[in-house]
Amino acid sequence: MTSKLKQIKDWPWLVLSPVVIFVLIGIFAPWIMQYNPAAQNYDATLQGPSWQHWFGTDYLGRDIFSRIVGGARISLVAMAIVLVAALAIGVTIGSFAGYVGGRVELVLISVIDIALALPSLVIALALIGILGTGYWSMITALTLAWWANYARMSRAVVTAELQQPYIEAARVMGASHIWIFVRHILPHVLGLVVVYASADAGALVLAIATLSFLGLGVAPPTPEWGQMLVDGMSYIEEYPRLVILPGMALTLVVVSFNLLGEAFALQKVPRPVRGGLLRKRRRARAEEEQARQAAERKAASA
Amino acid sequence: MKSVLIKRFLLACFLIVAASALTFALVAAAPGNVAALIAERAAGPGADAEMIRKIGDELGLYDPLPLRYARWLASAATGDLGVSLRTGKPVAEEFAARIPMTAALLGGGGLIAFLLSLTLGIAGAASNGRLADRVIHGFSLVGASTPNFFVAALLVIVFSVTLGWLPTFGTSGFQSWLLPWATIALFPASVLSRVVRVNLQEAMSRPFATTGFAKGYTRSSVLLREALPNIAIPYLTTFGAQFTLMIIGSIVVETVFALRGVGAFFIDAIRFRDFVGMQSTLLLFIIFFVMTNLLVDIICMLVDPRIRRARSA
Repeated sequence: MTSKLKQIKDWPWLVLSPVVIFVLIGIFAPWIMQYNPAAQNYDATLQGPSWQHWFGTDYLGRDIFSRIVGGARISLVAMAIVLVAALAIGVTIGSFAGYVGGRVELVLISVIDIALALPSLVIALALIGILGTGYWSMITALTLAWWANYARMSRAVVTAELQQPYIEAARVMGASHIWIFVRHILPHVLGLVVVYASADAGALVLAIATLSFLGLGVAPPTPEWGQMLVDGMSYIEEYPRLVILPGMALTLVVVSFNLLGEAFALQKVPRPVRGGLLRKRRRARAEEEQARQAAERKAASA
Repeated sequence: MKSVLIKRFLLACFLIVAASALTFALVAAAPGNVAALIAERAAGPGADAEMIRKIGDELGLYDPLPLRYARWLASAATGDLGVSLRTGKPVAEEFAARIPMTAALLGGGGLIAFLLSLTLGIAGAASNGRLADRVIHGFSLVGASTPNFFVAALLVIVFSVTLGWLPTFGTSGFQSWLLPWATIALFPASVLSRVVRVNLQEAMSRPFATTGFAKGYTRSSVLLREALPNIAIPYLTTFGAQFTLMIIGSIVVETVFALRGVGAFFIDAIRFRDFVGMQSTLLLFIIFFVMTNLLVDIICMLVDPRIRRARSA
């Protein structure tokens, strides 16, 4: 029983729950929304909260609750695309640099270091200036601004892992480079990078909202929190609700991702991977603990 | 010591050249070239290929890229950054008018972040797990998660709209700076107060703190006299990183409060596809980032004898 309790405490469930709620709302948004978030209704502009419109309506008569729920979906999808793409690029380049080594590594590392010399959002802004504004150029710009961190991390893991004796053993046994990398090294890389990415997701949601706030990301008819906020700024004196509601939604999501990141940092959950591995590790730890206690008892009784 | 400084400085210069070369190449690869844009502004949409070619020739746009970069960097070094495609004024002139604005924003915000983070961090460590510590922890978490444009909006709602104490935008006197400074300082102050708190706690468990207690110092004097100087290095390093991140804050804050600084210029350049303005602003940002990091490194070296000795050895 105690081990069960400990298992639950091992994972930041409480911290995870708001993130899960955000993801669920994002996925099921079309069923949660009561109205089309882009539908205008000039007979019902700037209404206060009511049973028809839970959060009221904006200056075009659009239902704010539906727009916030729709915004969750937009943020979630954009964040997921960028994260997956940046991870794929970063892990590929970083692992390649670490595994190949030599001059290739030196060149790639210099590129990564130069890319990291500038804050990601400044790079993203510059790329949007080059690509033009719009949803897909925002996605591309953020991906190209975000990969370098993952590349650096992957390279570090690969370099460290290559020193391990079991790699040498595998090589002696005739394993190919591809096999060694995919079977033995990649799981370590992904373990670390995925944990980091889950905490980084909050920063990405923030970046997407900031770009849209500046008018460089998601374009007006689509509901997006940053863009809803800048839209509401003109009405801030009479209807602060238009600004506060999307801002609150955004802040809640970022807070929950940051809490998750802090929980990871505190617990040092090293590789949250398949449940099997986790269970195995816990069993080993419990057995170790039991053995230690048994030894202590023995020593005490002796 | 001196040779280390020279080496660091050269490395910083190299980083500036490399990073600006990268951005130059990127902007040069952008679809829609500068000559076409200029021709379009001069002759309307009816600009013909002949005119575009002539302007391009004059600007040397058909020369090889490395040559163009060298020429651009050389003229930038003499203070000639070209003419902004958006305003039609020399970029150097724009910068001369705008840099003081952004510097005031970053300077004031940085100072507030510095003072606030030290106060909160020390107060948190002193209360150590009691109510004040938890409240400060909560504050720093929320402060590090709230988007700065939302912070700006909330401050305007509270202090300008509801209470009517402070102006919403513009730069008329000290009062108008308070909201921009508060907005830009909140994020770094939150992150830094956490750094102070965590590192102080760690330092308090080290042998020198125990020695302090053994000598009969009180907890607060051990905290201030023994532990505080020891967190200087992690604090300064994080402060440098946060200070460079404040550039992003300045872009948002200048947009919200209608301040005519470098960040606002950058955003306008992006919106209007003013490649010359973008290029120059990026160069300015790169110099700012690299020099801030260099400065932090030097201060760390001066502050910590261990690093000084290790690096000069």
